[in-house]
Amino acid sequence: MLLPRLQPPLRAALASIARSSPSCSSGVCLNEAFAALALKPLVFVRHASHAQQGAVNKAKDGPGKRLGAKKSGEQYVIPGNIIFRQRGTHWFPGENCAMGRDHTIYATESGYVKYYKDPERHPKRQYIGVVFERDQVLPLPRNAQRRRRLNMVAVKMEAAPPALPGAEGAEPVVSDLVLESGVVEGERKREVVKLLKKKDDRKGEEGRNLQLRPGYMYREGNWEIGRAAERAGVKVKAFKPRDRWTAWKKREVRFAKNAEKRSLGRKIGGK
Amino acid sequence: MSACQKAARPLTQCLRQSQASGQSVRTIRMFTSSSRLNEEAAVETVSFKPTLVLNPETVTSRKEEKKLMKTGVFPIGSRRRRAAIKTSDNIPFEQLPYQCFQEARKILQADREEKLELIAKERLRISNLMATDPATINGGERMKKTRLSSMNRHLEYLKIQADINDPLIKKRFEDGQGDMNKPIYRYLADRKWREYQRKIIVQRIEQLAIVPDVLPFFEPTAEVRLAFRTRNVQPGEFIDSRVSEVPARLKVQVFDKGERLVTIVVIDSDVPVVDKDAFTTRCHYLAANIPLSPTETSLPLSRATQEQLVHPWLPPFAQKGSPYHRYSVFVLQQKPGKTLDTAYAKEHIQPDGFSMRSFVDKFNLTPIGIGIFRSIWDEGTAGVMQRHGIEGADIEFKRKKVVALKPKQKARGWEARHASDKYKSLRR
Repeated sequence: MLLPRLQPPLRAALASIARSSPSCSSGVCLNEAFAALALKPLVFVRHASHAQQGAVNKAKDGPGKRLGAKKSGEQYVIPGNIIFRQRGTHWFPGENCAMGRDHTIYATESGYVKYYKDPERHPKRQYIGVVFERDQVLPLPRNAQRRRRLNMVAVKMEAAPPALPGAEGAEPVVSDLVLESGVVEGERKREVVKLLKKKDDRKGEEGRNLQLRPGYMYREGNWEIGRAAERAGVKVKAFKPRDRWTAWKKREVRFAKNAEKRSLGRKIGGK
Repeated sequence: MSACQKAARPLTQCLRQSQASGQSVRTIRMFTSSSRLNEEAAVETVSFKPTLVLNPETVTSRKEEKKLMKTGVFPIGSRRRRAAIKTSDNIPFEQLPYQCFQEARKILQADREEKLELIAKERLRISNLMATDPATINGGERMKKTRLSSMNRHLEYLKIQADINDPLIKKRFEDGQGDMNKPIYRYLADRKWREYQRKIIVQRIEQLAIVPDVLPFFEPTAEVRLAFRTRNVQPGEFIDSRVSEVPARLKVQVFDKGERLVTIVVIDSDVPVVDKDAFTTRCHYLAANIPLSPTETSLPLSRATQEQLVHPWLPPFAQKGSPYHRYSVFVLQQKPGKTLDTAYAKEHIQPDGFSMRSFVDKFNLTPIGIGIFRSIWDEGTAGVMQRHGIEGADIEFKRKKVVALKPKQKARGWEARHASDKYKSLRR
């Protein structure tokens, strides 16, 4: 290691001695020779810090994210089928397609996948679309009528729509009908009575329409709860802001009630 | 406005003006350092009872405006301008004591004179060109036509430029007193419409896909305001079926001169067809040969005569569960001097499956304006359908079930092991 490093200065020194010996004075020559002999220092760079983590020492390659096309061109898809998984928008949703929150393209209609470009819509974007018939072509010609599908079936309504608005008390009418039909057969009548007994609710809560609501709770709608007092026939005197007489009387009642409670509590505590 | 109010109105105006003129004398700036005459002497104020008659030029409170509008008279300009009229002396422009203002008016007047001269010259040039033989013109008949058209365009431009800087014209337009027969007021109205209302309707045409669905292309050139009885409809609004049971009222403002005949078509572009699993269109109203001009804007659809009417108003209805229906009210301009054969149309144009594209092509019509509203099933729809004898109120549309591509996977692991009835209690 040291030897090759020593070689060039030694050689230079020897050469200078050889050159100087015939002409110049010996002292000067020797100085020059020693100056040439001076070794250059060995350089080792050692920085204060060296990154230890991240991609410095060796590039890390994480697990694959399984991106790419999940359905190829002209493949049949149904609504919700994922067609393309991507980071960013390599592909844009075209006809009958939509984009998820991680830019995944999925179908909104059942049909055949088409990969296409639409320079009139956007010169650089590439789109994924779904067509209803396999031989249909995308993009549609400009200003052509859109192809749409109904995707619905017509069924008879269970309850005929009320012809007149504000037909109240629909529930009791239905229960009456049930009762009348129940009268014919004894067993059925019993069942009906049972049902009715079950329905024998608190005042103002008869005929409640309990449905499974968000939060997995069987309850009626907020608007129906709000009408409970109305159904029960609860009457409250309208509040008058400056009516001190009523306020004073109410206060008296409240105070008396509280005093009674307090006295009861003492008795219990005393025992 | 009641008769007594009508009678009292000129009197009150006269009184107000006399007061205003008295004030104007007082408030003119005097170039003296001494106190003003009227300050020294005790001024006798004319005390007269404020009359209850509302002046459309000076109502400023919302309450008064409403009261006035109930009588059928609309307040002028903006509330700010009315307040200014109320408090200022209302001196005519010629007498305003501001030197710079008067100089500026002179410049504007000079410019107007110049423009009028140019107009006269252009007219002369046009008449000269009309008189010349096309054989002598380089380019022949075609060149003559193009030159004439460009000269006419320039003439129209000059006509507008002559009046565009006139403050009185601006004032009259803002007060709604502009004469729509004059090109300058039509120009100003068009500009105002294009500033906001047209942008909205163009956006709705795009958003609701009226353009590829109903017509291949469409640029509205006339303002259409839609209303049902007293309910004004904003473009694309959802309208209750009970409101739209009566025929709509249209106000169509065209911005080019002359009287023309129009055809009104109302179509629903979202009629569900279950058999074909698709949508079709339906014509809800069709009337033709209705006269329209810049000054006559009101077009109540119920007023169409039997000769004009092809299909009477069928109230909009959307069956339960079906996606919203788009109803577009089209104003189609007929070619000048051509009438549409309504008897033929009655026979040959079916309301069901009505195609706007083919109708426009067949009768050579130009769509100029559109009003859009939407409707869905509501509480009143069944009643509306019953009253007008429309079937299908008891039908409900439900989503078709989508068949999965793969069979359901067999239970595996814990679920498979606990599948027997032994673990019934664990199951829900």
